[in-house]
Amino acid sequence: MDFTVPVPNVLGERLSGQDVRDQNVMACQAVANIVKSSLGPAGLDKMLIDDIGDVTITNDGATVLKMLDVEHPAAKILVGLSQLQDREVGDGTTSVVIVAGELLKRANDLVKSRMHPTLVISGFRLAMREACRFIKEKLAIEIDKLGRECLINCAKTSIASKMIGSESDFFAKLVTEAVLAVKTMSAEGVVRYPIKSINILKFHGESVKDSYLLDGYALNIGRSAQGMPTRVAPARIACLHFNLQRTKMQMGIQVSVTDPRALKKICQREADITKERIGKLLEAGANVVLTSKGIDDMSLKYFVEAGVIALRRVPKDDLRHVSKATAATMVSTFANMEGEETFDSSFLGYADEVVETSIAGCDVVLLKGTKNTNAVSLILRGANDFMLEEMERSLRDALHTVKSTLESNLVVAGGGAVEAALSMHLERLATSLESREQLAVAEFAESLMIIPKVLAVNAAKDATDLVSALRSCYHPTQVGADEQHLSSMGLDLSRGVVRNSFEAGVIEPAINKVKIMQFATEAAITILRIDDMIKLVGDRQEYEEE
Amino acid sequence: MHAPVLVLKDSLKRESGAKVHRANIQASKAVADIIRTTLGPRSMLKMLLDAAGGIVVTNDGNAILRELDLAHPAAKSMIELSRTQDEEVGDGTTSVIILAGELLHVAEAFIDKHYHPTVICRAYTKALEDSIAVLDKIAIPIDVNNRASMLGLVKSCIGTKFTSQFGNLIADLAIDATTTVGVDLGQGLREVDIKKYIKVEKIPGGQLEDSRVLRGVMFNKDVVAPGKMRRRILNPRIILLDCPLEYKKGENQTNAELVREEDWAILLKMEEEYIENICVQILKFKPDLVITEKGLSDLACHYLSKAGVSAIRRLRKTDNNRIARACGAVVVNRPDELQESDVGTGAGLFEVKKIGDEFFTFIVDCKDPKACSVLLRGASKDLLNEVERNLQDAMSVARNILKNPKLLPGGGATELTVSASLKQKSSSIEGVEKWPYEAAAVAFEAIPRTLAQNCGVNVIRTMTALQGKHASEENAWVGIDGNTGAIVDMREQQVRVPIWPPSSQTCFLPFPSLYLDSFNVKAQTFKTAIEAACMILRIDDIVSGIKKKQAPGAGPAPSKPKIEEEGDADGEQILPD
Repeated sequence: MDFTVPVPNVLGERLSGQDVRDQNVMACQAVANIVKSSLGPAGLDKMLIDDIGDVTITNDGATVLKMLDVEHPAAKILVGLSQLQDREVGDGTTSVVIVAGELLKRANDLVKSRMHPTLVISGFRLAMREACRFIKEKLAIEIDKLGRECLINCAKTSIASKMIGSESDFFAKLVTEAVLAVKTMSAEGVVRYPIKSINILKFHGESVKDSYLLDGYALNIGRSAQGMPTRVAPARIACLHFNLQRTKMQMGIQVSVTDPRALKKICQREADITKERIGKLLEAGANVVLTSKGIDDMSLKYFVEAGVIALRRVPKDDLRHVSKATAATMVSTFANMEGEETFDSSFLGYADEVVETSIAGCDVVLLKGTKNTNAVSLILRGANDFMLEEMERSLRDALHTVKSTLESNLVVAGGGAVEAALSMHLERLATSLESREQLAVAEFAESLMIIPKVLAVNAAKDATDLVSALRSCYHPTQVGADEQHLSSMGLDLSRGVVRNSFEAGVIEPAINKVKIMQFATEAAITILRIDDMIKLVGDRQEYEEE
Repeated sequence: MHAPVLVLKDSLKRESGAKVHRANIQASKAVADIIRTTLGPRSMLKMLLDAAGGIVVTNDGNAILRELDLAHPAAKSMIELSRTQDEEVGDGTTSVIILAGELLHVAEAFIDKHYHPTVICRAYTKALEDSIAVLDKIAIPIDVNNRASMLGLVKSCIGTKFTSQFGNLIADLAIDATTTVGVDLGQGLREVDIKKYIKVEKIPGGQLEDSRVLRGVMFNKDVVAPGKMRRRILNPRIILLDCPLEYKKGENQTNAELVREEDWAILLKMEEEYIENICVQILKFKPDLVITEKGLSDLACHYLSKAGVSAIRRLRKTDNNRIARACGAVVVNRPDELQESDVGTGAGLFEVKKIGDEFFTFIVDCKDPKACSVLLRGASKDLLNEVERNLQDAMSVARNILKNPKLLPGGGATELTVSASLKQKSSSIEGVEKWPYEAAAVAFEAIPRTLAQNCGVNVIRTMTALQGKHASEENAWVGIDGNTGAIVDMREQQVRVPIWPPSSQTCFLPFPSLYLDSFNVKAQTFKTAIEAACMILRIDDIVSGIKKKQAPGAGPAPSKPKIEEEGDADGEQILPD
């Protein structure tokens, strides 16, 4: 008697075992390959065109992958990975994808040679932990020893790979100044660098080198009426969230009157309610009024008379930043618990000066010397809009880099130095392991070398040659008495030689590298654990009808 | 079993590597070729037919490119350049495209030789820095307070734009207008807001020579009740309103339910009273002229004309602002809140004149006008449009000079000087960047070459002669006369033709047919062109068709994701070190 083996009834495709791993790994590698050519100082840009024809030119791995409509589920994990890196540290989005892709490729080879995935996974975990420990303990150098120069170098390393790479000196200084300018000390004595209070404004025209740092938070809108003053100092700022127009009932509310005289009163009252509100604002001492909604001509007049700068239709994000920086409370209604309308002067924010200036033909209102956090604005200039967009992305990356450098206080050498050092270290570790995890650790070590390899390939150098030269620097026999010196040997990509990255000023925040290791390994593990993929048919009903 | 792996949507088209470089360069060159013939005084016009059958005939680089509907993304970014140039300095829109196209053209040779694009970019950026330094060196500063020199300069800067018969006039208008609205910011800085405070009014008829800059404002409106209101008032007291002078309904929806017959009469009476009330409030300030942005009812008109007040209604907001600046009035919203200080008394004369078939209001002879109108007269609408475009250019030139009072020679002389000194410098540059740097130097010659081409002289002979002259540094001002194609030295010409008294110390006055360019324009052209060229060179991957809404998985799956080999991503590029 034979049994029919019950096959689970799966509606759709099912793929399992080695097939699914092959497929996943291939997909991830494809993603890694897409961003590969944008890594490093000699990396190039990608042009992305959407179906309307809008163009984005970028070098940022996270942006590229976000724009691409990646469909494969495993590949999507990598896309998510780069987004995560972007959110956490802001830079290194390309590296993390490349490392993850390489880890997967090598892991797949191991599995193919009959090693169980869980074993590979535990090996990777071990290696990752050791790598992070090694970075923190051996490779990282405290920033206090290196000073401000070091910050500029960090920013420079981040910018060097971007479109504005040839002006990296200039922008690195700009970025460092910006971050240092917004330094704040919280009540507990913790120093923070809220880079959100660095506003980036873009105006096309002039040259990238004509970009500059402006003291104060810039709002890209002019004052609402010509009659208002262009400068108010010291400024007391009210942030509002409602209309300052003739008061109007909610939609659909009708007022019926029988006495015609009442009509006039209604009209009068409409105007007066707003007038009283403005009166309350002025009474509280406000001399700058920002609202995210409208202000009509009638209300503007009162502000003009009182010499107040009023701005209408301020974007909500800007308003939020302003209220944070100036310690103003955003007010969405005047009503208080007693049902009366009040505006307390404690709701007002404070800034030393509010001025309207003109930048590249656009009126811009600047808030200087804000109370809570000092705000600065980066004014970017450039040949066209695509360029400005990319500049903004690059500078945001650099801002993040400088910030994480300052906050973590640890830096490591760039130019493939960390990867090479880790690779050699892990290799040595692998040989000391007795279990089969040894193989996985060794492969992990090997896959880190992908970064210097890609760097060299992108710069059109002989990758094999350079990478072996780099590796030899880290050989145990080399690393002897002068350990510190050699642990920062990296690649010089414009000349194609090995040199000391620290001395050349190619440095990155340590946290960046640590996160790359962690995220890449975790992502690789996630994908590696999959051994079955079931693609369900979208509509069950439809399937049954067939 | 190998199942196909679908990573990207199959609607995506992806191209990468050297192919992209070449395609981008081709597209950019194509754009440059389109407008090449419109450079210089001997430029040709382009006729563009749009889908609706309309015709545009123009030789303005920006205008041509704006009309073109280009599919290639790199070409699109080229078009953006000319827009940037137009907005920033208002001149040089054609040159920037030609220069960018040429820079990419010379880069193509290096891409073919497997140069790394970043190397080319680095060389170009260095060339940009050096060229700006050269510009600084050969520029001559001028005195902006000297009217005669300013006039000459503005005129020669825009010399290519229109026929010389009314050249002097436009320059005059431009300088008058910009000096009127210029605001001193202190520290020698001047802010000139052309967009907001200068209005160009075109009235067909009369002669071009009748055009002038008014010490005040004019607009195409008549008083509300002609015949009953005065059309000419000396030293008027002006009240500006932006509220309607008619019965205003409330914002809320109101219903009046009338049950008694008398109520109806009261309702009507109230409306009348409302208007009367407003008028009384206005008349308290004894105005001679009331101008409102909104409506003005017959009844209000009656009250005002009875009091001998002229009224104008439905004025544009921007015009109202200009009047406010010209005569010192404040725009008022609620008549019951009028103050004495809101009344404008700065104007010397209010007058409504009939020009042709239409009435025009003039508020002129202002004491300290901070806004003005430029009145253009001419034979036809088309001519006026042309003159207006020229005037706009002239005003931006004047503004540029006010902002940065430095001048450079035109006629390709600047480019040749830059080219010559870059070539000299290239020999001292280390490494592989030397060659692209030198190529950038050669690319600058595209401008004089195109000028020579367009005026029909022997290009090779002219260029060789020019290059010969520029080999020595004292010939930095030698360029091409764009009309005749002759080689001229701008400086010699200036000395030979002294037109104005030698009152200006810092500058000698140029001969009218010579071309000068303001420093800002030239510097901006170089910056924009080089930076854009670098941007396009850096692209090695084009992905198009992102986010098309298609059913997922529809259509046949492509075999495998294309995994590019390392060789594809410029692996084999050995640099000639």
